[in-house]
Amino acid sequence: MAGANTLQQQLISPGRVVVGIADLAMTADPDGLLVTYALGSCIGVTVFDPVARVGGMLHFMLPQSTLSPDKAKKSPCMFADAGVPLLFTKAYELGAKKERLVVCAAGGAEILADEGHFKIGSRNRTMLRKLFWKNNVLLASEDTGGSHSRTMTLRLADGLVTVKSKNEERTLWPT
Amino acid sequence: MANMNELLTMDRLPAMPAALARAMPLLLDPNSSLDAIEKVVRTDEALTAAVLRLANSVQFGSPGRHFDLRRAMTRLGQKTLRSCILEQQVAGIVAGDNAAFGLQRGAMWRSSLAGAIAAEELARECGFEDPSLAFMCGLLRDIGKLALNVKFGDTYLDLVSVHETEQSSFIDAERAALGFDHAQVGAALARKWKLPERIAMAIETHHTPPEGPGHDQLFDVVHAADAICRWAGLGVGVDGLEYRLAEHVRRGMKLDRRSAERIIALVWEKLGQVEDAMGDLGKQGVAA
Repeated sequence: MAGANTLQQQLISPGRVVVGIADLAMTADPDGLLVTYALGSCIGVTVFDPVARVGGMLHFMLPQSTLSPDKAKKSPCMFADAGVPLLFTKAYELGAKKERLVVCAAGGAEILADEGHFKIGSRNRTMLRKLFWKNNVLLASEDTGGSHSRTMTLRLADGLVTVKSKNEERTLWPT
Repeated sequence: MANMNELLTMDRLPAMPAALARAMPLLLDPNSSLDAIEKVVRTDEALTAAVLRLANSVQFGSPGRHFDLRRAMTRLGQKTLRSCILEQQVAGIVAGDNAAFGLQRGAMWRSSLAGAIAAEELARECGFEDPSLAFMCGLLRDIGKLALNVKFGDTYLDLVSVHETEQSSFIDAERAALGFDHAQVGAALARKWKLPERIAMAIETHHTPPEGPGHDQLFDVVHAADAICRWAGLGVGVDGLEYRLAEHVRRGMKLDRRSAERIIALVWEKLGQVEDAMGDLGKQGVAA
């Protein structure tokens, strides 16, 4: 489900695309800015090819599509194991090359005192690492864990990735 | 320390929507007649439009057919009609942004709706006798945030965050900063709106459901529904995931990782369906 841009947001930043929950966006617009809000246990993954100037962002909720193959078919971006491959495929379709991709991740938070009962955020992180390890993808930078929500952005002009949490914003890439 | 009475007598305090106030006794009574509900719906133009739109939507209508209000109501059936009235009325008060909790326009509405859907689903799964009541409490659980936003706006986080530590919940920090938390404010607002005490209590305890005296399965359900929304990232603002899931709720409702993940996925899917059916009103909730 694509996030709608309000007129006001459009006027401030014409290339701004809001990536909703269980959603992905890919752009080659040099003025493009991809944003995703309210990453809880969910994880936002960005890919950026500095040569092809292609960038993409995924916001997935849960680790494994085996939970519900039906839902995964309809909304692959809900799940790490279905959404992440789709993110890379879409980037390649726009001319990105795997060896040049800068990959960042943010999110994967837990509720307080989870004590290993649910670990929804950490299972998301584990699944992401497993997928990257299997496919020889290196994570350039990440900001994951904790109990706070995060807003993640990717700027196409230079590949800048930021994470904002509460009132603090920090740069994830360039490191 | 802030003063709760002062907070509740503010001029700009959110008011209970008029049609909702009229509809509430009917919504709480499973035997209320369609005639009585129709009378209330007719008093509110936007509500009438919402009922008609839903009945004529792809989900319920036949292509090209248009129903008048009474036929629209019959077509939806009591359960859907009741949810539609609640959703439309509550959307009116929670659709805006909430600077105090760092929620953009539509995010609080979406969280309210997701909490309602999750509470109804959890109620069914754990055999709670009134899933519709759980839906209503899930929908209204965060109304306290409305009043705090009016009073403090974007200064709220600074006020609260100085009291936060690594392991303290947002509730603890709110209490340290103000003397009360958003759930208690919500309950006070519900009482001011003359909602039944059990609903006010469900709002008050949605982060701290009592285990011993005062235990109510309804409160457990609404508490767990809030956690489901947080994991899904629905309505997660400056408070993040800084809440605890009560141990007795986890045990009592037999919630484990797999069931939580299944319910998260289910709520997400149902939320999409309701938003699609609600048309423009639903779209307000998508603008993150």
